[in-house]
Amino acid sequence: MYLGLDVGGTHTDAVLVNEKGVAASVKVVTDRDNLLNSVNAAIEELLARAGAVEITRINLSTTLSTNAIIEGKTEEVGTLVSAGPGIDAARFEIGRNFHIIDGSVDHRGTEIKGPDRRQVEKAIEDCRKSGIKVFAVAAKFSTRNPSHENLLKDLLGQNADFVTPGHRLSGQLNFPRRITTAYFNSAVWRIFNGFADAVEKGLGSFGKTAQVNILKADGGTMPLAMAKQVPVESILSGPAASVMGIVALCDIREDSVILDIGGTTTDIAVFADGAPLIEPEGISLEGRPTLVRALKTKSIGLGGDSLLGVKGGAVTVGPERKGPPMADGGSEPALLDAFNVAGKTEYRDRAASERGIASLAGKAGMGTAEFAAAALRCAIDTIQKEIGLLIEEINEKPVYTVHEMLEGKTVTPRALYVMGGPAGAFADMLSEAFSLPVAVPDNYAVANAIGAALARTTIEIELFADTERRKLVIPGIDVNTSCEREYSLVQARQDAVAYLMDHFKTLGVDSREGEAEIVEASSFNMVGGFYTTGKNIRVKCQIKPGVLFKLNGGGKS
Amino acid sequence: MIKAKNRLGIIFFPAFDWAISPTHPEREERLLYTQDQLREEGVFDIEGIHEYKPDIASEIDVKRTHFCIPDVDSVVTQSHLISAGGAVKAARLVMDGDADRAFALVRPPGHHAMKVVHGNRGFCNINIEAVMIEFIREHYGQKRVAVVDTDCHHGDGTQDIYWHDPNTLYISIHQDGRTLYPGSGFMEELGGPNALGKTINIPLPPMTSAEGFLHVIDHAVLPILEMFKPDLIINSAGQDNHYTDPITNMNFTAQGYALLNEKLNPHIAVLEGGYSIQGALPYVNLGIALAMAGVDYSRVVEPDFDENFIRQERAVTRYIEKICDDVVENYRNPRKRGPSRGMAGNYEVRKKNIFYDTDGIRENQVEAVMICDDCPGILKIETLSSVNPLSLGIEVPLGACDGCREEGYRILDQGKLKNKYAYIKFINRRDREYIDI
Repeated sequence: MYLGLDVGGTHTDAVLVNEKGVAASVKVVTDRDNLLNSVNAAIEELLARAGAVEITRINLSTTLSTNAIIEGKTEEVGTLVSAGPGIDAARFEIGRNFHIIDGSVDHRGTEIKGPDRRQVEKAIEDCRKSGIKVFAVAAKFSTRNPSHENLLKDLLGQNADFVTPGHRLSGQLNFPRRITTAYFNSAVWRIFNGFADAVEKGLGSFGKTAQVNILKADGGTMPLAMAKQVPVESILSGPAASVMGIVALCDIREDSVILDIGGTTTDIAVFADGAPLIEPEGISLEGRPTLVRALKTKSIGLGGDSLLGVKGGAVTVGPERKGPPMADGGSEPALLDAFNVAGKTEYRDRAASERGIASLAGKAGMGTAEFAAAALRCAIDTIQKEIGLLIEEINEKPVYTVHEMLEGKTVTPRALYVMGGPAGAFADMLSEAFSLPVAVPDNYAVANAIGAALARTTIEIELFADTERRKLVIPGIDVNTSCEREYSLVQARQDAVAYLMDHFKTLGVDSREGEAEIVEASSFNMVGGFYTTGKNIRVKCQIKPGVLFKLNGGGKS
Repeated sequence: MIKAKNRLGIIFFPAFDWAISPTHPEREERLLYTQDQLREEGVFDIEGIHEYKPDIASEIDVKRTHFCIPDVDSVVTQSHLISAGGAVKAARLVMDGDADRAFALVRPPGHHAMKVVHGNRGFCNINIEAVMIEFIREHYGQKRVAVVDTDCHHGDGTQDIYWHDPNTLYISIHQDGRTLYPGSGFMEELGGPNALGKTINIPLPPMTSAEGFLHVIDHAVLPILEMFKPDLIINSAGQDNHYTDPITNMNFTAQGYALLNEKLNPHIAVLEGGYSIQGALPYVNLGIALAMAGVDYSRVVEPDFDENFIRQERAVTRYIEKICDDVVENYRNPRKRGPSRGMAGNYEVRKKNIFYDTDGIRENQVEAVMICDDCPGILKIETLSSVNPLSLGIEVPLGACDGCREEGYRILDQGKLKNKYAYIKFINRRDREYIDI
């Protein structure tokens, strides 16, 4: 059996699934002050229902790190950056203990100037005086040459309980994001590790036989041992859990749009050829862009509880929410009330819905039915417009080769998948508006927990080889070695896959979890004067998000 | 997060799969390190800076600007159409108000491509700025456009295309033609009879440093722009004046380029040459992008920068100070060399021998322009090259007077009757008629 847990802001959902389907599911109210209680309560309840079962895998999606950051309950971090020339690093200051150290490495990974030891000593001393125990170290171009970060980490030595070296987070080039992400990682390290240890303890015997994984925002998982090193990867995994739930419940093979319609918001995700699209750079947290890989989702202020109104003679829906719909005892009419009036739903107190809409319609000089229809039209129009913008943005993504420019794939949705409370009510109207088939999966109420349970381990690495300097680095998994002058793209492709699978083995991840695929591979001849001096090779390799298996019978059109 | 003062659109197209030849300076690797630097600096995360995909220029966009012999397809590759399309996209962003400024960081370059195209010269097939400018005029109306070319090589292609256009001011700042390809761009080259003074050349001595370039901007370029009053300023942002460039002899810096850009304040910048792909381009492009966006660039410095190494000699300084006065006078009071301007209604003829260094093509041209007091004048070019037989190009310019328009059709008919031209290319900008024979 596979256990999936999604600790959300309001509810904690948990399921037990195997190839035959959902064996048990529970929903408990999240105890925001003690997430561990919610986890334990959900598991207890689940086991009470399912009886004695063998659990091989426990996947957990938690808002712990996200909440800690948003609520400012994080630990003080000492941040040391080696920046060199470029945009002034002071512009990327984060936290109260931000230190810029002189030193630079260029785009090839060549050290121009080592870190200024006296400045490093002073920074460490300042942090020590302030009682700082966790650190983030980030250097420009550390993904080409991690030596500055490694040196800073070594110099911190006993002063630190934990250090995040920026190059371990991602192979991507983006110094400001590297600083931010390393900072957040160290800021939540202690709180996450405390939680992780307690979860392991709470699982008791289960924890020993089952592999415990933490869900990431890219719709994949990472082993708990790894999560303890990179807890920042656990942020904002909630929407990804739902998307992976759809993957498990529906047989998506083509370009599609996924809508998760909630009370306040609707999350939109896009699939290309049946696989969810990933945010190319990384997700933003607290308005700060990070290197944390995430599924490309867009949240719009429209849901079942969206407030209805009239503006300039036209009916409006959302983005504000003022409590529940009137059908649910609210004081002002919301979108769900319009569905009730239009006869699309029979949700609780329909008379209350009538009253609310009638009074609004009266003010606008419209009939009640007419007003409700206009509200639904407006909601559908908004969703349609936002999906259009998202698809346009995806298709406008810059490309860098003549080939891609001429032959590049564009995304054209062929189907819509809708889930969330009001999903059923929207289906017909969406199908008509888009002239596309719309599917609403069964079990969508716990799709998030199913997604968590069945999500596979994901990883992305970037191999960078410079045959002139004879260097080979894979920053994310700390490979820093040499290569032959004759090293080729063919070898690099093989090595990237081999290193990745090796890394999986070290983490104790079953290699059957997924197949490594090369996402990008390029080799540039480097020319000095009139002669080729070497090759600059870049290979990006990943195990993309997916589910262990699909559940049958999901989705009715 | 950093916020840009000006909304800047960057069209980045490095053509990672295109090269003239494997070790040619214009090869796949050229913008690789620039891309790395811009990404690592987080330039595209700056609020107000957006990266855009280029357009692909269409055949008509090229035909509007060039006489391609034998035809557009034969002399242009897809990568040229994308690079020109990158410039067009930059123009659209600014003209449509989606960005305040735009930087087309694209390759291959274009400023050595002339009005007639038989092949590639100076790494250029089609003139991407000219294709862009004529796109603007076609879709957004006639504009007074100033092109300031800061590539180290004289932009002889752009000069050739706008030689007769009084509505386009072309200013080229470059290393003296006596010391560098293409060996032209002397101060006496001031434009054709209907556009005298609208071509301005500022040849600088080898070893000119930032001090000299900025002096030229302050004391020649900006005063001339003040007088010309352009609707649009375009910077042909070649970067081979850099002290590390392998094929030139100047001492310009990333800081200098950024400051130059800030002073010039162009609406659109288009990358041209620049072949110090590791030592210069990453820093110069970063500096230009930040300057255009109005973001502090004071710490953008090359790793090996050493002021003492590139200090400008006093003789160079004195020479530059002296020529600036002459340059401004050349604009204010352009004096024609050779015979004085003929009577309206007559043709002025010049003969040109053109060498296409990249493709090894030789071309002979007889170019005739109608001297006209009412419009830029009908243009007629007879061209014969080592790859194409005698051909004819005729252009009825934008804003052509009735007389010149009629004359255009007359020489077209005459050309057809004569039966001596292998190809005839007819551009009528006034009525948007393009004829290929």
